[in-house]
Amino acid sequence: MKTAADLLVIDDNPADVSLVREALAGSKHRSRITSVGDGVEALAFLYHRDKYVDAIRPDLVMLDLNLPKRDGLAVLAAMKASPDLRRIPVVIFSTSQLSKDITRSYELGANCYVSKPGNLTEFFSTVLSIEEFWLSFACLPAQGE
Amino acid sequence: MNSNEVDILLVDDSQDDVDLTMHALRTENLANRVFIARDGEEALDFLFCTGPYSTRSFEHPPKLVLLDLKMPKVDGVQVLKQIKGDPRTRSIPVVLMTSSGEEKDMVTGYKLGVNSFVQKPVDFDQFRAMVKMLGLYWLVTNRPPVGSGPANLEGRER
Amino acid sequence: MTSAGTELAIPAAAAPRPQLRALLVEDNPLDAALVVRALIKDGFDVTADVVQDEAAFTKALRHGCPEVVLADYNLPTWKGMETLDVIRREGLDIPMILVSGALGDVNAVECIKQGATDYVLKDSLARLPAVIRRALQEKLERSLRHQTERDLARKVDELARSNADLEQFAYVASHDLQEPLRMVTAYTQLLAERYRGKLDENADKFIGYASEGAQRMQVLIRDLLLFSRMGRTEARERVECDAVIKEVLQTLRSAIEQSGAVVTHSALPAVWANPTQMAQVFQNLIGNAIKFRQEEPPVISVQAEEAGQQWLFSVRDNGIGIAPEYAQQIFVVFQRLHARTEYPGNGVGLAICKKIIERNGGKIWMESQAGAGSTFKFTLPKSDTEESTRIRS
Repeated sequence: MKTAADLLVIDDNPADVSLVREALAGSKHRSRITSVGDGVEALAFLYHRDKYVDAIRPDLVMLDLNLPKRDGLAVLAAMKASPDLRRIPVVIFSTSQLSKDITRSYELGANCYVSKPGNLTEFFSTVLSIEEFWLSFACLPAQGE
Repeated sequence: MNSNEVDILLVDDSQDDVDLTMHALRTENLANRVFIARDGEEALDFLFCTGPYSTRSFEHPPKLVLLDLKMPKVDGVQVLKQIKGDPRTRSIPVVLMTSSGEEKDMVTGYKLGVNSFVQKPVDFDQFRAMVKMLGLYWLVTNRPPVGSGPANLEGRER
Repeated sequence: MTSAGTELAIPAAAAPRPQLRALLVEDNPLDAALVVRALIKDGFDVTADVVQDEAAFTKALRHGCPEVVLADYNLPTWKGMETLDVIRREGLDIPMILVSGALGDVNAVECIKQGATDYVLKDSLARLPAVIRRALQEKLERSLRHQTERDLARKVDELARSNADLEQFAYVASHDLQEPLRMVTAYTQLLAERYRGKLDENADKFIGYASEGAQRMQVLIRDLLLFSRMGRTEARERVECDAVIKEVLQTLRSAIEQSGAVVTHSALPAVWANPTQMAQVFQNLIGNAIKFRQEEPPVISVQAEEAGQQWLFSVRDNGIGIAPEYAQQIFVVFQRLHARTEYPGNGVGLAICKKIIERNGGKIWMESQAGAGSTFKFTLPKSDTEESTRIRS
């Protein structure tokens, strides 16, 4: 459907970001993956502030919850409160299985919540299935201005 | 089926589409806990535990609402607005299905907080593939908000 | 006072006289003297304070540390029984003996009911020493008992706290260990996949061992987490075991199909427990029965019968069985009877069952012979709410 989608991965663990890249390397979508490691950076990126003035606008965001500086839920809340950013699908991708994290994420408007699998094969297939659903099946809003 | 043990609430006035959807879900073993509402009003009664569904409880929402956009009486956007506008139901994942793929519908939907938007394919095979993907993604990959549906066991074999 | 170097000659001592610090509440000095004389005559080494009013009494209580209070019933400005209030107010436990003129039996009994330890007539002072001795003895026993109770309470407290600490430690350790372990597992596995055959001959082997070790550790920690988490969710409710079994059989569907197992069950009762935990118990027992099978397909039967105030469940199989000498061992966490290559698993399933059953007030045990199948039995107390739903098989 889309030529090359832009994925923003917000996660402070470079090892996990690298795993996501590995997982998507074999996918037919050829998504471009950008990553930021903390909540403040994430919002600067999304609002095109400071050094991110020319940053792309992601088609999909994968958001971890345990981030330094501003945590995942704060980033989520900010995104969904902004009329501009709220249409970007946010997939919470976190190791947390705490009900309070899940509940709060949905309350703040997360599009979905996916637990990071502990097993490599499942991790890869989960990441691929996230990309596949949002890029092949879901209709994403056009990039407005 | 216990109305408090529903995984998917399918809201669609088109019998053909409903049949196709159920057929696809059945092949994935997901059809057992699907509840079908023929229009927006019935869907709202179901989700808000009113009218014929007053025995339902807010503690056991469905894991997914598959909502057709164009329906008589109360249309998809209205239903979505009510669901996402009420704290008791706001967290329920809602996927809006449209035949048209019109931009403005999407914008409205995302503004109201729809979880995702899909376009119903015309081709039968593609339709089936989409329903299958919807079922797998929203019921298996996704973690629905807690309190939805029957308790799941952690399948540990020892 | 002696000059340096000489000792004062001490006469051969008689047996030392027991010391007694007494506080007398008496306005008649003659009566007071008579009381003291009666005590000395009986062998006490008496130190006595005499007071007449509340203020003086309170002061003497605080500074004199008396062992016994001897009070007249009627004083010009005070009442002997009121000494009890002051004693209580000061937080002390000192026997108070009324030494008085005739009171009448009814009155005397009433005074003792209100807290006086005993009552002695002024014209029967010869009784007093024995009364005092008995009062002091009882007080000693009381103090010892209180101390033992306090010790016990403290130990129980410490134990509870220590248990809670241990559980929390196990939980935190397993939980926090999972993250870095996930990294190790994922990347050793990636290494194994990406570089198979591309490095020297030992590399594949080394990476393989590392990868297996990491994966095993992941499972161990996950199981430890599960084990330590048992007991955190105590929410109990009425659990229909019939419904639980159905769900468990569904969960075990593929294992059942692959092994050709036949699982039957009698009508099962409802119990008062946590539904997820009960499912865990049945899943572990039935899963084990399927796993530890002989050549032929497993035949497993789940039964329940009444046993007095309890339900007795049993899960019987025709599997490889367990030698009786291992009957206890199998319930210990991480204990296994077979090499990992023979049968998979960590040995935590039965430990989990035991923890759950025992926390619910039941017992679990095994009856088996090697090669002759096993029967796992457990009891659960009936709850009042079940009386109306007695199930017969």
